[in-house]
Amino acid sequence: MNPDTQILRALRDAGEAGTSGAILARQLGVSRAAVWNRIEELRKAGYDIEASPHHGYILRATPDALHGDDLMARLPVNRIIGRDVIVFSETTSTNDIVEKLARDGVAEGSVVFAESQTRGRGRLGRTWCSPSGCGLWFSVLLRPNLRPTAATQLTVISAVAVARAIERETGLHPEIKWPNDILFGHRKAAGILLELNAELDRIRYAILGIGIDVNLDPDSFPPDVRNVATSLSAEAGRNLNRPSLATAVLRELDHLYARLHAGDFHEIGDEWMRRCTTLGRRVSIRIGDRSIAGRAEALDEEGALLVRTEHGTLERIIGGDVTLEKNG
Amino acid sequence: MDLKEIKAIIDLMKKSSVTEFELEQKEFKIKLKRGGNHPGDGDDSSFYSARPVMAVPASLPPPPGPSAALPAPPVSNDAEIKSPMIGTFYRTPAPDAAPYVEVGVEVGPDTVVCIIEAMKVMNEIKAETRGIITAIVAENSKPVEFGQPLFRIRPL
Repeated sequence: MNPDTQILRALRDAGEAGTSGAILARQLGVSRAAVWNRIEELRKAGYDIEASPHHGYILRATPDALHGDDLMARLPVNRIIGRDVIVFSETTSTNDIVEKLARDGVAEGSVVFAESQTRGRGRLGRTWCSPSGCGLWFSVLLRPNLRPTAATQLTVISAVAVARAIERETGLHPEIKWPNDILFGHRKAAGILLELNAELDRIRYAILGIGIDVNLDPDSFPPDVRNVATSLSAEAGRNLNRPSLATAVLRELDHLYARLHAGDFHEIGDEWMRRCTTLGRRVSIRIGDRSIAGRAEALDEEGALLVRTEHGTLERIIGGDVTLEKNG
Repeated sequence: MDLKEIKAIIDLMKKSSVTEFELEQKEFKIKLKRGGNHPGDGDDSSFYSARPVMAVPASLPPPPGPSAALPAPPVSNDAEIKSPMIGTFYRTPAPDAAPYVEVGVEVGPDTVVCIIEAMKVMNEIKAETRGIITAIVAENSKPVEFGQPLFRIRPL
């Protein structure tokens, strides 16, 4: 654990009671002057750390900016997801960075955030608008012990993790649009994309990319998505603390990822189905140049969407662009 | 009709763009179909026959020796790049982008040849071997099954 993570964790644990420079120095195995230096650096980064003659250091307020050390300090000590957290002020796409880490053999669970992305991406070359300091744009390196055919389980657990975290942090009730968009009404507030590197019988690594529109003014959205996008701040009517939400997502993800490997997928899948509001709705799906319209009837055990077409046939949908019909 | 003749038809179909073949004779009917099925259409066998029932594997092993009855088709040493999962096959990274690979292109083990998508999981398929793409077997933006051949590749 690096010194800033240790200091922030100790300050959070101490709360209002505070902790002295001497105790911190002993915990870190450094001099009190070195502790003081780190505290100064944290203050410059926007952390309001009070030095009280009686209580020592007290953490009064934290900035909304993302800091890897701070995010790690907020996570449980024993964890896979978020074992290392890196924050870039700007990058092309956090998936690009994580892909490099994956190729370098970095262990799973590493997370890369960017305050802004210049080439944030969605499915099939689509762009994801990710302005600076307003959202959570991040990618997680996974090396799941799953066959490639079961990789869709990652889609399911990540959608549930994001929905749970948003619910916990905001009190809002987001819907899951099949398979993993996070929606309020007809408007998308978060998107998830998984990029897989697999052999025929095993996954080498998977990159889980998550984009959450946190504190964005809907008026600032590009015209082409204005009618289909929203943000958590717009839905909640107040700005939200991004580091706190980021930590909540990583905690949920860590928890569900462990449960997935413990063989508990079915329970998570059931929760995903309960949260998935696509069922019962009229949908149209475009897969390449093929179009299917009908009513979303059910999800099968692998999570595929079963759509009853106008002709009465049941189509099993595993991909493509799903559009919810407004009057469905 | 014997196995050799069926094999010859399969070989012809592989080399041409013919994807379905049906023949009915007295007491004998055969239907051959190449490429992927749409999942959920209730028929997951790639072909079937009736009266008499014959089960012919999709890819027959090469005949043991040169056939006298029919000119022996050249034995193909091409390997196949197969789909590791059920999903939708995309030849391009984006709808308006150029395909990852074309027939005749030389690829390395790490060359991405296509994407298979299932439920927002985008699986970039690598060639896994050095070679030349000799055929694109699957159809763009159509469903593919687990283990279905996507490309044929002549190893170098």
